[in-house]
Parts: sequence; C-alpha cells; structure tokens
Amino acid sequence: MDITEKLITSLTVLLTGLVVVFAVLFILIGIIKGCGIIVTKFENMVKEKKAQKETASAKPVAPVQQKPVQVTETAESGISDEIVAVIAAAVDAMYGSSGKARIKSIKKSDNSRSAWSKAGILDNTRPF
Amino acid sequence: MEIINGFVDSIVGLFHDSGLMVLGWQNYVMILVAIVLIYLAIKKQYEPLLLLPIAFGMLLVNLYPSIMAAPTTTLQPVTEYMAEHGGQAGSYAITVLNGVEYYNVPEYGGLLYYLYQGVKLGIYPPLIFLGIGAMTDFGPLIANPKSFILGAAAQLGIFITFIGAIFLGFTSKEAGAIAIIGGADGPTAIYVATRLASHLLGPIAVAAYSYMALVPIIQPPIMKALTTKKERAVKMTQLRTVSKLEKIIFPIVVIIVVALFLPSAAPLVGMLMLGNIFKESGVVDRICKAAQNELMNIITIFLGVTVGATATGEVFLTAQTLGIVVLGLLAFCMGTAGGVLFGKIMYKLTGGKVNPLIGSAGVSAVPMAARVSQKVGQEENPSNFLLMHAMGPNVAGVIGSAVAAGVLLSVLQ
Repeated sequence: MDITEKLITSLTVLLTGLVVVFAVLFILIGIIKGCGIIVTKFENMVKEKKAQKETASAKPVAPVQQKPVQVTETAESGISDEIVAVIAAAVDAMYGSSGKARIKSIKKSDNSRSAWSKAGILDNTRPF
Repeated sequence: MEIINGFVDSIVGLFHDSGLMVLGWQNYVMILVAIVLIYLAIKKQYEPLLLLPIAFGMLLVNLYPSIMAAPTTTLQPVTEYMAEHGGQAGSYAITVLNGVEYYNVPEYGGLLYYLYQGVKLGIYPPLIFLGIGAMTDFGPLIANPKSFILGAAAQLGIFITFIGAIFLGFTSKEAGAIAIIGGADGPTAIYVATRLASHLLGPIAVAAYSYMALVPIIQPPIMKALTTKKERAVKMTQLRTVSKLEKIIFPIVVIIVVALFLPSAAPLVGMLMLGNIFKESGVVDRICKAAQNELMNIITIFLGVTVGATATGEVFLTAQTLGIVVLGLLAFCMGTAGGVLFGKIMYKLTGGKVNPLIGSAGVSAVPMAARVSQKVGQEENPSNFLLMHAMGPNVAGVIGSAVAAGVLLSVLQ
C-alpha cells in the first residue's frame, strides 16, 4: 500500500466505524428511552386501575377480633419461651386469619440431615 | 552386550526426542516470559482468571510444541502396511499414485490443537459473552441511556489505532485486529483477531489482557490531565429505579437493533443478550447459574490455555509483537481520552450535571474501569459515589466494542 492508499483505507474505516457505532448506539438510546416512557406509563396505569378497583370494592367492615393462635401444651424441655413465641407468631402469620390454628406441641427435629444437605437436596430436586 | 547396546540406543533416542534437542532459544525466552506472567497472575493478581491459563498455555507450547500440532496424514504403500501388520488390511482411505496404492494413515494432532478449534471457529468468545450477559446488570444503562454516547466515544481509540497500525506497515486486516485491543474487551479482541489475523492472536490477546489488568495505572493520569478539579468533583443525582419489565425488554430491543443494522456483531451481542435475558427473566435460574459459573469457567480455561498456546517463540519474539504492544497501549489511552472528552461535552451540555470521569469507563473492562472512575472521583470529593453512574458507560462499552468489532469485520473481512 502506498501512502495515498493507506490514507484512504484509514479514513474510510475511521469514518465508517465512528458513524456506525454512534448511529447504532443513538438508535438504542432513542428506543430504550421510548420503552422506558411507555413501560412507566403502562405500569402507572395498571397501578391506578388496581387502586381504583380496590377502593370501589372496599366496604366499611367492622373490625374483627381474631383469636390468637393457642399453644395448648407445653413445649419440649430445652425450648425457650422466646422460640415458642416466634413459632406461634409465624403460624399466626400464615394461618391465623382462619381462626382455627392451634399449636399442639413443639419438638426438636432429630437433625438426621444437616441444613447444607437439605439445601443441596432442595437445589437438585427443584424442577426446571 | 546386545541388551546394553539396546539400552544405550534407547537413551540416545530419548535424548534426541527430548526438548533439550528440539527447542530453540526463542522457546527458552518464552518459557521465561510465561514464568513471569505466572508470577504476575499469582503474586500481583493481574487478571489471574485469564492470565494464569494463558501463561501456562504459553509455557506448555514452548516446552512441547507438538501439543498444538495439527493432525496430518501419511501416505503408506498398502503392501508395506500389510507386511507390517501380519498381512491384515487397514481400514484407511486409499490414494493411488502412479499405479501404486497408498493408505492415508492419519496422525492425530496435539491436545491443545483440538481445544483451539473453539477459538479458531469463533465459538468460545460468544460463549464467554453468554456468561458475561448472565452476570451483567444493565439497570444503570437503562436508567440513563445517554451513557451509550460515552460507550460509543470510548471506541474512538480503536479507529485511531487502526490508522497508526496501517502507517506502521501492518496490512488492513492486521491493523483491524490490533486496533480492537482499544475496545478493552478480551473475548471481542480474540474474536476479531481470529477472523482477521489469526497469526497475531497470541500477542493481541496477551496485550489486551495485560492492559485490562493495568487499567488502574493507565487511566487515572489521562483522566486527571483532561479534566478540571471542578469537573471531577461533580456529584451526580441518583439514578431512577428500573422496573423488571424494562430489564426484560432491554436485551430483546438491543439484539433486534444490532442484528438488523450490523449482522456481523450478532454472534457476540446475541449471546450477551441471551445471557442477560436468562438473568432478568427470573424463570431459568438453573440455566442462568450454569452460564454464570460452570460454562463460563470451563470456557475460560479452554480459551486461556489455547490462546496462550498460540504464543510460540517464533511467533511472539518478533518486531511485530513490539508494534502490537505499543499500538495496544495507544488504543487504550485514546479510548480513555475519547470517553473523558465526550464526558466533558456532556458536562457542558447538561449544565454541569454529568461528571466527565464516568466517560473513561466506556472502554469496557467491566467492572475495573467503573471502579477507576469511582476512585478518581472520590479522591477529589470523598462523599462522591460515581460507581453506579460509571457502570452505565461501562456496560455500554461492552455493546459499543462489539458493534465496533462488527464494523471492522464487515469492512475488512
């Protein structure tokens, strides 16, 4: 390649490269900005509709006194009151609204599998 | 006596086959270079995930060059073959030359030759991109799409270096392969080098990864030289929250635009976006983890070792390598400067809302370049946190360098 040829090749690649890279990325800026605006509007609309539905369907209801979860028997020795309280709170959070939840006993598990082993089994048996 | 003669002949034969007789001085120099690189990878932790396999591949090929040998076929007369094998015919293809039948007896290539096919055929770099996509959060870029401008500006180094390489006497294809070092993206550099100038792959890969490891040393002086104290101290406002839907739409939009306008960049960007949609969809957790970990690690080993194995003494120890090292540095510096200068333009246009330091992160080298922007910014103002703002141009740089690679491949191939 002589000097002129080198100059022509260099400037062609420089010009093509910069123009194409900037053009493609500018197009992406436009589309992503547009998408952002549309998605935000769409999500706001969905939120508004949901809120409207909730307010329309909401009727004044007298507050219902729920029965707390009852612990009928004492827990196995070695389990502190705090642990019993935490378990009762968790059960209440899950099933308390039905008003029928009752803890009959709390026993320590036999620990035949370690937490790591359980996590491994869970990870390997989870479906695709 | 016969036993002793046989023993001596065997030892002499082994000595003649040994590396001591086969290797040239260039191999010994390269063995030293490989040991230095292994030291840098382990002791200084310069990109050890890639530098260590690259250096070890370099060591292996210079100790035992046949490990990269291509398979060959030897023609052996059928009669001779049968005489050697107790009259049994072989199951090889037959070639007839001057009325004599010959068997095409294959000789298998070296281990790394076969693993190298993944590099040569352009398979490994896109697979690495798949893993990168599965690990990358494009949130900062989606929150501030203007970051794409900085990702584009930092590709300036590629095209300016192309001019330098042409004038240093490289062919246009070689110049393209060298210039892509400025993209600061290892897989992209390897992908382009194998397509445009595969004989320069070793020096290009070593230069690219070395400079990426040296980003914290190369970039700060350029960033400080091109910006004022006031500009470096700019605090940027917090980025908006990006919804999951936007993150899922992003990879689809990017691949549609890139593949339509620049199909040659589709393999790299396509795999990057496939990995990203695995991550953002949240429904293929296991595949996403495999892409991030097992696949990425396996490909990294194969890529590193085989790229290192291309750096034989005869190929590496040439004036061309020196040229590539110098041009690679120029590409990196120009890319950094391009990003920072466009950052300055954005600073002016936004009335001082953009810190120009984030521009230097546009050279890819994820996440090192973004960390450098954060560090230099905090030197000026310790309460400034630029990291997430710099991640935008940083990940835009990955897309930008893949697009630049596509341009080079389209124009030069």
